[in-house]
Amino acid sequence: MDSKFKNRVREQFGKTAQAYVQAAHFAGGKDLEEAVRLLQPSQDDNMLDVACGGGHTALYFAPLVRQVVASDLTMQMLKKAQEHLAEEGGFDNVVFREADAEDLPFPAGSFTLLTCRIAPHHFPDVPRALREFHRVLRRGGRMAIIDTLLPSDPEIAEFYQSMEQMRDPTHIRAFNEDEWTQMINDSELILHETLVIPKTHDFQEWAKRAGMNREEIQNLNKFFMDAPQKIHDFFKIESFAGEVETYTDQKLLIFASRKEKEKK
Amino acid sequence: MPVRPELMEILACPKCKQPVVLSEDQLSIVCDVCRLRFPVRDDIPVMLIDDAESF
Repeated sequence: MDSKFKNRVREQFGKTAQAYVQAAHFAGGKDLEEAVRLLQPSQDDNMLDVACGGGHTALYFAPLVRQVVASDLTMQMLKKAQEHLAEEGGFDNVVFREADAEDLPFPAGSFTLLTCRIAPHHFPDVPRALREFHRVLRRGGRMAIIDTLLPSDPEIAEFYQSMEQMRDPTHIRAFNEDEWTQMINDSELILHETLVIPKTHDFQEWAKRAGMNREEIQNLNKFFMDAPQKIHDFFKIESFAGEVETYTDQKLLIFASRKEKEKK
Repeated sequence: MPVRPELMEILACPKCKQPVVLSEDQLSIVCDVCRLRFPVRDDIPVMLIDDAESF
């Protein structure tokens, strides 16, 4: 990963680590429930959670698997996640590693389960990260990626990219479902199922969590309010007296696996 | 605190992907192939190529 960009990501998530760890928003949710249903974790599973952020996915899966290795690019985030985990009952089967998703520090075939939640839109090279996911998964290993879904309508997609980058400059880009399917196939993973899950955001909380100041939030609010009706309808933007209260975007859950060993 | 030895099995050099070893003082993780030393901060191995020290 480009080291200049990497440092920006570390700065962004270093300053907002506490807010991410505490966000109730990430602690549970339909996406995690669906991931568990599809992945069927068991006590035989050795799991890797890439770009673990506040550690919510690792914590959710910890009682269901043998071990979780949780990796993230940002040390402050890992430390907060580690503290959070200790407060939540201290599972002793979770370990943390500072690592780059595009250069994973694990031997080939180390994991039977891999998750990566709400993170690939920060990766400069998603195909490279997917090749790494393929490498560290054991044959037959299962994987769930959850990320924000880029709308297929170009005008809505452009608004979406702009508003995400106004909020967080380390947002590189989200992908639509066709792009994800192509990237999964190119990385020789087997795509089993995709699910689209709507997610409603409290606008103020969502903006503040990224570390935006008052003026920046006002500008973002204006950007939302000035958007065409089509965009208001798509994101179900709810406002009161000119202030955005909530909007709803979509997450894509991708369930895939690495090929089983071919029988000769 | 040093890294638990059993966890070294699921660590590799992020650059060459070869096995890494604990340093003699058990305070860092070393790749003898790339001649890189990865620090351990607050029990967390920092397995980033750019943050590793060459030796």
